[in-house]
Amino acid sequence: MTRRFSLPFNMTRFAKWLLVGSVFLYLYVPIAVLVANGFNEHKYGTEWRGFTLKWFEKLWHNTNLMDAAGHSLVVAVSSATLATLLGALGAIAMYRYDFRGKKFMGGLVFVEMMSPDIVLAIAFLLIFMALGISLGFWSLLLAHTTFCLPFTIITVFSRLNNFDNSVLDAARDLGASEWTAVRKILLPMSAPALIAGWLLSFTLSLDDVIISSFVSGPGYEILPIRVFSLVKIGVSPEVNVLATLMLVLSLTLVLLSQWILKRK
Amino acid sequence: MNVKKWCALLALVGVNGLAQAGEQVVVYNWSEYIPEDTLQEFKKETGIEVVYSTYESNETLYTKLKLMKGAGYDVVVPSTYYLNKMAKEGLLQKVDKTKLPNFTNLDPDLLNKPFDPNNEYSVPYLWGSTGIGINVKNIPKDSITGWQDFWNPKFKNQLLLTDDVREVFHMALRIKGHSANTTDEAQIKEAYEYLKELMPNVLVFNSDAPREPFLSGDVSLGMIWNGSVVQSREDDPNLQYIYPKEGAVFWMDSFVIPSGAKNVANAHKFINYMLKAEVAKVCVEYVGYATPNKAGKALLDDATRSDPVIFPDKATLDAGEFHNDVGDAVLIYDKYWQLLKAGK
Amino acid sequence: MTRPDPFRWISILPVNLWLWLWVLLPTLLVVIVSFASRDPAELIAWDFTFDNYTRLADPLYLQVFWHSLWLAGITALLCLLLGFPFAWWLARLRPGPRALALFLIIIPFWTNSLIRTYAIKLILGKQGLINTVLLQMGIVETPLDLLYTPFAVVFGLVYILFPFMVLPLYSNLEKLDHSLIEAARDLGAGRWQVLRQIVIPLTMPGIVAGTLIVFLPAMGMFYISDLLGGAKNLLVGNVVRNQFLSSMDWPFGSAISITLIVLMGLLMLAYFQASKRINRAGGIHDSTL
Repeated sequence: MTRRFSLPFNMTRFAKWLLVGSVFLYLYVPIAVLVANGFNEHKYGTEWRGFTLKWFEKLWHNTNLMDAAGHSLVVAVSSATLATLLGALGAIAMYRYDFRGKKFMGGLVFVEMMSPDIVLAIAFLLIFMALGISLGFWSLLLAHTTFCLPFTIITVFSRLNNFDNSVLDAARDLGASEWTAVRKILLPMSAPALIAGWLLSFTLSLDDVIISSFVSGPGYEILPIRVFSLVKIGVSPEVNVLATLMLVLSLTLVLLSQWILKRK
Repeated sequence: MNVKKWCALLALVGVNGLAQAGEQVVVYNWSEYIPEDTLQEFKKETGIEVVYSTYESNETLYTKLKLMKGAGYDVVVPSTYYLNKMAKEGLLQKVDKTKLPNFTNLDPDLLNKPFDPNNEYSVPYLWGSTGIGINVKNIPKDSITGWQDFWNPKFKNQLLLTDDVREVFHMALRIKGHSANTTDEAQIKEAYEYLKELMPNVLVFNSDAPREPFLSGDVSLGMIWNGSVVQSREDDPNLQYIYPKEGAVFWMDSFVIPSGAKNVANAHKFINYMLKAEVAKVCVEYVGYATPNKAGKALLDDATRSDPVIFPDKATLDAGEFHNDVGDAVLIYDKYWQLLKAGK
Repeated sequence: MTRPDPFRWISILPVNLWLWLWVLLPTLLVVIVSFASRDPAELIAWDFTFDNYTRLADPLYLQVFWHSLWLAGITALLCLLLGFPFAWWLARLRPGPRALALFLIIIPFWTNSLIRTYAIKLILGKQGLINTVLLQMGIVETPLDLLYTPFAVVFGLVYILFPFMVLPLYSNLEKLDHSLIEAARDLGAGRWQVLRQIVIPLTMPGIVAGTLIVFLPAMGMFYISDLLGGAKNLLVGNVVRNQFLSSMDWPFGSAISITLIVLMGLLMLAYFQASKRINRAGGIHDSTL
């Protein structure tokens, strides 16, 4: 086979690996610093004072921080999933159907992306109070799903955008129901975008502070707020250790799933 | 769909976290501003569970309580002028001192301040100051005595200021001989004009924790919280603290009970517990700020008790100022703050 | 025309209802509030006024808007320049390594942003990693001022928004039909011609999506600029936050927010109109977004 398809950039091997290498370096050097400081004797990490596991041990006893991390994961997984589900439906609707208010829907997605966090935060809290939704898991889920939604809609829609609608119509003419046609053709087709949208949503949800601090309640603390409110006494390296654990966990899961896929 | 099942399962786990019954008190505070062990001890002694929730700024605390009309939390810990503002707007209820026998442990010098006369609404928890931080390795300590030294042209592009309008204006207002609580536009404008001259010297307005740029060697002079210096002394003794001669910014974080609190009796029990001498001592050792608790201070070791950075003498205290709510003058401050930042 | 089918409604209704309740309703509230007056005790006084909008004519706010736009624009551009070739590489990988690489891009962002920013400060600082290396290698004599400069802000913004560019781009490039490129090459098209006339038009939806996802949120971001840039400049996000949380001037904050949305909307519209005219064959019908 000719490898000519990669020619538009004529990336020589060197240029290619230079690019990929520098991007990963850019992404991971700060992470390396962060991880190193989880094991640094120096509390403020401005210089290396020797290896220690004391922060690890402290974290182990800090149940509040661990609980908050658990809550954050639960909220992030559920809101990313819900946002991807809703977003995929929305993107399919925009791609496949003509309906009144389609442009309006696009407008709302835009408005949502442009609304400053603090405005959304206050609006959400007011609506939750008006509807009598108590602050906790559900309010977080609703709010996070909402601010993730534009990202999933845009990602999936851009993937479907140039796809030829007539393939679906052909399937319909052959007697497939709309749902079957969508499931058999559009969903597999948008899989990479679904994954991309989910990952982006998960990332956004995991790190949100402003909106969450307004819509979370006393019984259900999440990690970013817990960490940001540490500034009064100083962020301790325990947080770095916690981040390291999450990195290790996610890397293990990824490598494990790779291995399983390969075995299949 | 598998995903749905997972989602439902996770949602259930999420809801379980909420299911709590029995006696409790809901505390809204900075993260780890009260040692976890203290909260556990309180539960052991009284059977009341502390639900500890956190906020990352006074602004968030205030706005959230305002929106929720003072409901949702039993004890909150606002700083000086936010407490003032909240009391004025009816977001707080008066504390019942008959339920606080330990109130007498508090130092009368730190009670009855202008932001809450007679402590009708608040019980002081910790207090501290914003003064001058200096890295004595790079700048001789005795060359700096007050805010005025910040204006020295040799510090071009080197200073750290806190990203707090009231604290930054405090410096200029005090130098010009005004109160840091002024609501007079002419005085604020005068301070603004003077601060404009300071701007070329400013390297950074720090919005999270002022200690870290000092420790990393990026700044050697600027504003800092006294507690930050105390906490980092062990790691870096070169970072030291100076009370400026024009007067430091003092602040106090106090326990208050929001007007819509559900567990008022438990809130009092909790506050009373926090006023115990032994508890106050533990909190100072843990957090590094000063306690207004005289009985608690007496239990501290000599070095801590006589540390002038943590516990300044009365003259230093009187020279400084606690910030008050300035009411609508906040608009004037914010206006000049914007102008200062936009460089106009 | 397709036959009427329940799925049509399943796809249209939930997301629209969701957007009406959680986006339209709050936005309408904000619009209404933007015509009210400030009242420090009650937050909002219900007397109708245009003042909040006329106040925005102050050149100060123009400067703030311009600065935010500039930062967001340069960030989106750098993300695109870095992200496009990277996404291209990603899309060309075999499925196994591709999934791995995809995760490796996003995993750094599952750490808390505050400590991640601290780590960046430790890299850019006077005694930070970059300066230490440069000094050791004798490339510079005195440490460079990197931290608390516009460079640091852009460094941080591109850092946190990079995956938001790469992922949508990747999901678009992945479906690119390479036979088209080969055909064009066989017909003698040059490298640039292929890039300009085939690759870019075909991947335009991805470029637009990635740019939107990076550019729009970057407009409102102020946290990175405050921490890494030293908070010496005001951004739109700072001003809005201050109105809501510090000045307690909700009507004015609402007016800023609405103006921002309208201005950006007009900007987007103008952009899409222009690109439609220039690129009629390009197949960009994203003007709905």
